[in-house]
Amino acid sequence: MLTRQLSLSAPIFLFIFLFQEAVVNQFKLPGGGFSLFAIFALIWAVISTPEIAALTGFGAGILMDMSQSAGGPVGQWTLIMIIVCYGVSYLGYGDGNINGNPIGVVFFVVIANLITGLLFLASSALLGVTTGGFAQILLTLLGNSLWTLVITPIVLPVFSFMHNFVFETRTVL
Amino acid sequence: MRYGGEGRTRLLLIILIVTALFLITLDLRGVAVLDGARQGTQTILSPFQKAGNFILTPVKNFVTDITHLGRTRNQIEKLRADNAKLKSDLLNRRNADAQLKQLKSILDLAGTAGYKVVNTRVISQGSSQSFSQTVTIDIGSNAGIKKNMTVLSQSGIAGVVKEVYPTSALVMLASDPAFKIGVRIAGTQQIGILTGRGSRSGSLQLLDNLTTVKVGDVLLARGSVANRPFVPGVPVGYVTAVDNSAGEIAQNATVRYYTNFGGLGVLAVVVAASPSNPGDALVPTKPVPTPIPTVTVYVTPSPSPTE
Repeated sequence: MLTRQLSLSAPIFLFIFLFQEAVVNQFKLPGGGFSLFAIFALIWAVISTPEIAALTGFGAGILMDMSQSAGGPVGQWTLIMIIVCYGVSYLGYGDGNINGNPIGVVFFVVIANLITGLLFLASSALLGVTTGGFAQILLTLLGNSLWTLVITPIVLPVFSFMHNFVFETRTVL
Repeated sequence: MRYGGEGRTRLLLIILIVTALFLITLDLRGVAVLDGARQGTQTILSPFQKAGNFILTPVKNFVTDITHLGRTRNQIEKLRADNAKLKSDLLNRRNADAQLKQLKSILDLAGTAGYKVVNTRVISQGSSQSFSQTVTIDIGSNAGIKKNMTVLSQSGIAGVVKEVYPTSALVMLASDPAFKIGVRIAGTQQIGILTGRGSRSGSLQLLDNLTTVKVGDVLLARGSVANRPFVPGVPVGYVTAVDNSAGEIAQNATVRYYTNFGGLGVLAVVVAASPSNPGDALVPTKPVPTPIPTVTVYVTPSPSPTE
């Protein structure tokens, strides 16, 4: 069962990552834009079990670390994504008000995206990665959060359908 | 928090976190395997990025027009009025024209200084998720590009080559917070360090506490040993504000870069500098104000009808 799920999930993750790098990154959007891949990984984690969410975070983090625009050392995004993906899944697991409700999922993804940014800043400070001035950081965090708030409801049905297809669950958001 | 936290999940979580920490440690110790993995990924991604750039250029132009609507409204209105019939053709041609203009300016700049350059196109903007300012260009080690080479835009310095792959390279823009460049003020030759701020403005710190800087001063790259990472004489920006705080050891200033980092299309990588330092030869000329013609109106009184 797990083999089937992994073999179906991997191409989806690779495709979204490729789409992020080849298409989304082409646009210089105001406020820093958004990361479709991060949104995808977080949605996937919120509607999965904590075990799957941790694996999701690991896989997504590895791919994000492989991106040319990853500022820090390999493993930094992996660590952050494992923690955040497991965290959001753990908090929402079994609670229909969160992972069964589109508004709950959107709320969780936006907050998780913000926490991801904050964790990246904190870990960058520890690892000596330069991240810029306070105003610029604030603008990027705010911009990313607003973009995530706009994009997540649009892509949620598609990603939820994919998740349903892979895990054969009955509920589609 | 409904999840029971079974032992298996906790064990998995610990294993994954330890793996991530292991990767970080390996990377910080400079293990070549991880660099190879990143390079391999970039080699795979590069053709997709080039294809994405080619396909999405008209869409990008449209988005750029939308985001700059406030600033270029008058210009757009004028163009729309003049070129209504050719609108669809213009959408495709404008990109080529803009790139040609950028390329011409870059070649003029490089030619004046005697730099040997390789021209390149930007194929991807770096994600701001990592708070860094980077772009990917469509040439790499196959075209002779190496790490720490200066990258020029049409107006001056754009950044420095940070990573090189066979068919592409990652350029750290001068606006990146980690970017630092030694600069000198054209004319007075005072020297300082310019640091990026994540936007089009940078922070200048003079090295000598006895020297002063004033608004409008032009900054040029001071150059590095063996001309890497920076060749000398490249225009960097101009001073827009000076901080005269009494407590500072040396004077600080805010600098506006000549390069518009939001509209980079064509760049040039300096593969060899000129044998002699170009000095202040590349200082941009200030725009000459267009004289407004004075209109003189002569009034001749008409004869009164009563007369």
